[in-house]
Amino acid sequence: MYGKDVSALLDKHGIRVGDTILLLAGPERYEGVLMPRVDVGDSSIIVIKRKDGYNMGIKYHAGMKIHKLAAGKGEFEFPTAGAEHSRSLDTVSLIYTGGTIGSKVDYRTGGVYMLTKPQELLYEVPELQDIANIHVSNLMSIASEDMTCTEWKKIGREVAGAFNAGSKGVMITHGTDTMHYTSAALSFMLQGLNGPVVLTGAQRSSDRGSSDAFMNLICASHIAAKSDVAEVGICMHSTPSDNTCSLIRGVKARKLHTSRRDAFRPVNGSPIATVDIGGAIDYKSKYRKASKHKSRVSLLDGFEEKTALVKFYPNSDPGIIDFYLGKGYRGIILEGTGLGHVAVSPSRSELSWISRIKDAASSGAVVGMTSQCLYGRVNSAVYRNLRMAADAGAVYCEDMMPEVAYVKLGFLLGNYGEKKAREMLPVDIAGEITKRTEYTEG
Amino acid sequence: MHDASYYKKLGFRCGLEIHQRLATKEKLFCSCSAQTESDTVIARVSRRQRAVAGELGIVDRSTSFESSRERSFVYNMFKDTSCLVDVDEEPPHMVNPDAIETALRLASAFGAKVPDEIEPMRKQVVDGSDPSSFQRSMFIGYEGGIDAGGGRMRISSMFLEEESSGIESTASDHVVYNIDRIGIPLIEIDTDPDITSPQQAKEVALKIGLILRLTGKREDGGVTPCVQRGIGTIRQDVNVSIEGGTRVEVKGLQEIDSVDVIIENEVERQVRLLELKKSLVAKKAAVGSPKDLTHRLQASSAKIIKEAVSSGGAVMCARLEGFAGALGAQINPDRRLGSEISDYAKMSGVKGIIHSDENLDRYGLTDSEVSSIRKELGAEDGDAFILVAASKAACERAMGFAIDRARMALSQVPPETRAVLDSKKGTTRFMRPLPGGSRMYPETDCKAIAVTKGTMGGISKYTVYLEERVSRIRKEIPNPQLAEQMIHSPRLPLYEYITSRAKGINLVVATTILEKLRELERSAVNTDLDRDVFLSIFSMYAQGKITKAAIGEILRYSPKTAKEVQGIVSTNPLQRISGSDLKKLIKKTGKKESGDKVREIMSKYRLNVDGEELNTIIGG
Repeated sequence: MYGKDVSALLDKHGIRVGDTILLLAGPERYEGVLMPRVDVGDSSIIVIKRKDGYNMGIKYHAGMKIHKLAAGKGEFEFPTAGAEHSRSLDTVSLIYTGGTIGSKVDYRTGGVYMLTKPQELLYEVPELQDIANIHVSNLMSIASEDMTCTEWKKIGREVAGAFNAGSKGVMITHGTDTMHYTSAALSFMLQGLNGPVVLTGAQRSSDRGSSDAFMNLICASHIAAKSDVAEVGICMHSTPSDNTCSLIRGVKARKLHTSRRDAFRPVNGSPIATVDIGGAIDYKSKYRKASKHKSRVSLLDGFEEKTALVKFYPNSDPGIIDFYLGKGYRGIILEGTGLGHVAVSPSRSELSWISRIKDAASSGAVVGMTSQCLYGRVNSAVYRNLRMAADAGAVYCEDMMPEVAYVKLGFLLGNYGEKKAREMLPVDIAGEITKRTEYTEG
Repeated sequence: MHDASYYKKLGFRCGLEIHQRLATKEKLFCSCSAQTESDTVIARVSRRQRAVAGELGIVDRSTSFESSRERSFVYNMFKDTSCLVDVDEEPPHMVNPDAIETALRLASAFGAKVPDEIEPMRKQVVDGSDPSSFQRSMFIGYEGGIDAGGGRMRISSMFLEEESSGIESTASDHVVYNIDRIGIPLIEIDTDPDITSPQQAKEVALKIGLILRLTGKREDGGVTPCVQRGIGTIRQDVNVSIEGGTRVEVKGLQEIDSVDVIIENEVERQVRLLELKKSLVAKKAAVGSPKDLTHRLQASSAKIIKEAVSSGGAVMCARLEGFAGALGAQINPDRRLGSEISDYAKMSGVKGIIHSDENLDRYGLTDSEVSSIRKELGAEDGDAFILVAASKAACERAMGFAIDRARMALSQVPPETRAVLDSKKGTTRFMRPLPGGSRMYPETDCKAIAVTKGTMGGISKYTVYLEERVSRIRKEIPNPQLAEQMIHSPRLPLYEYITSRAKGINLVVATTILEKLRELERSAVNTDLDRDVFLSIFSMYAQGKITKAAIGEILRYSPKTAKEVQGIVSTNPLQRISGSDLKKLIKKTGKKESGDKVREIMSKYRLNVDGEELNTIIGG
């Protein structure tokens, strides 16, 4: 956004972003297309695009003259493509929720901005139309970090609706940062699922030719159109190369790198399958298969928002539990250390978590114990201190990741109440808990 | 060679783009070394890229062309010289402030104005040379100028950008790149098309190179160079057009000696192409559609056809009406219109095309096969044909490219980016269509950089400019030839480092650096020593502790430290004998002719005694 002086000058001359202008500052002449100004930085800098395509910033000062040489075309619009439908292909719904995968340059902030038209993506990945009849649903345009359980429910309803309207599978484009929370929520919420629900995203924005969005979308659509998986999964790059993607169970996937293409890894399990860009699917582990009998997909969409995820660390103040209980929280997932530890008898007794866990449990709240190690299983028996935490009332959550346990507890509390939630938290309902910890490389 | 008036008549226009690596420690957008040699490959990453719409929603013609080639790219990663940023797995870090400072320093050396704010941009490159599919580039200077080649050359623009990666190998469906050098900061200097002849272009290129090398930063009592030196650190691109022709860019000339001949040939090429266009249009020439003749030629014993057919491929031909003789017409040494068309076809991964102006016997095509092709295509006398044999998909793509190029022969000299084919002959080949401005869009991962008057003032205060440096050297080194050699020597910074610390011995330092070191290198002595080793030797000389002759003797040992130098001097021994010691030595020689005395002493103490001092004492 331009500052007051510059905006006034532009308005006075009826100049809009995209117009070709001539700026005169004494003997200096600058000609180019007026570009939008980034929000941050010096707002008196006028940015023009030169003929050679480069942008340059010119500081505005009083006495500068400006002329409009030619009117621009108004807003910059990317080309779009509508989906052409073929009878021989299955219908796959593409639910667009936002994120890097559907983003372009935002000239207002200089940052990456969510696309408002999914058709722009279809223009850039025309291959999708040879894989399935893509039905695009522009549900929302929300950054990953702004997602809440309200959006999870909304997405869940859209997924159920898509299946019930005849879609073979559903793809969801999503920001990557919290994609594993959404995938876990959908895994629990969707009832009677009879086809693949594939979340996908991009670590590099789709406005660059090297974006991982293209291959992720192609692979995800192969899964959605051709696989018999009846689960929620995340489909993203298996490695930094553009060779294969992995379909990871929605309750076993986690983002483990800030920027790499293969940021999502299966934790405590193997991927369901890998898929290459040509559509070859290689199944790697057992999964729930779609049955031939069509059933109606429904949504169990209760979610207790007064559920918290709390990390234990050396010196951490267990009073945080009091804080949450004071605010009426009914569920707390603890991220303990190692096998599921919190401080039991520290030199400063006020740092012990045991009495706080007891208080919470006796008040009726559910306290779940997970591990910040992520990999592996918690255990309430190996050490005395573990037994003390368990005796205090903490429910040990097996090989469930903290984030998944958090979503599951919110889901259980929202739909079944505290008693049932306590019972069901350590019991597998959507593949989030495995009885045996299989050996995996890496 | 033609003179300037010949080029003037043709409407010759020519400008240069010089790309030079900066001498920063780190790369432009990450902290990988910008200097280190490649270490071993630690990982390989394979990628695909595609053209995307630019800032104005337009796909650039060069990027959509590359994208249609459907190749994949493999990037070799290295431990110390590449990181996740280089392989597009991590956003860029802050722009290297040293690189910005150096670029602005050079902008001031070329008399260029600088923008009030530098906007990092992305320039799409889909040939795979950048894993991110764009090169980051910043416009940092404009409207500069230099005196060169007998005239005033305007510098239209200067850019600070990332070096691309180097090709390791190429195959039909993929290219392997080494990404160790990607991201090293480069400065690009573009001249306006003010150049009037190929010879002048060469002189301008030499002058720009000299300014780049001799502009430096004054620090630590010496001058820190702005740019790297050595093979591959500077590249010239030339832009050439003539009246009726078009702007063509020849990229990546590493040898400055070939600049003039490359330009002469490009002019010649455009002249010939325009002549061909005229005669083709007069003949009402036309380009036909490709036809699949696999069934007609499947029994052919021509090697290229046999190979394609046996692996399930196809043979496709197209009639070029009225093109007979034109395809074989020479437009440059060893280059014909046919080779131009073949270059386009090669972009699909095929080895090339066969055309009817060639000696078809050479390929093993029989006369009856040729007649059969002509018949199938309906080709008459005066018509030509082109043939390609490969996999069906490659054939179709190759034919598409070849036909496009053949059509252009009827209308224009195509705007192209070309690469050097043979620098001795000065020939070039087609690389890709000339890019337009639509391949630029903002680098949104980086903030813009403000440049204030204060920034520029601070920079120019510490800048040593070419003129200052040259006139100082000319004054310091009385031998004009030696002074010119020093100005162009890569060891100039060494000379300056030493002479600013060991005073009054400029000529000895210059002759040692320019002559003695070369002599030692010819005897396979390692002269790549630390500058402080050199300084310790010359300091001893300046203090009268060793003679000039001893300098070369010490260097013969390639000492690694100043301490080693001391050791060499005391063990050999190489200490200078002078004053009363020298007088004693003279006395010892007894009663002799002066000349005999000198000879006797010098034969024994050549490295310890200064001849001049000896002569003075004996003569006095």
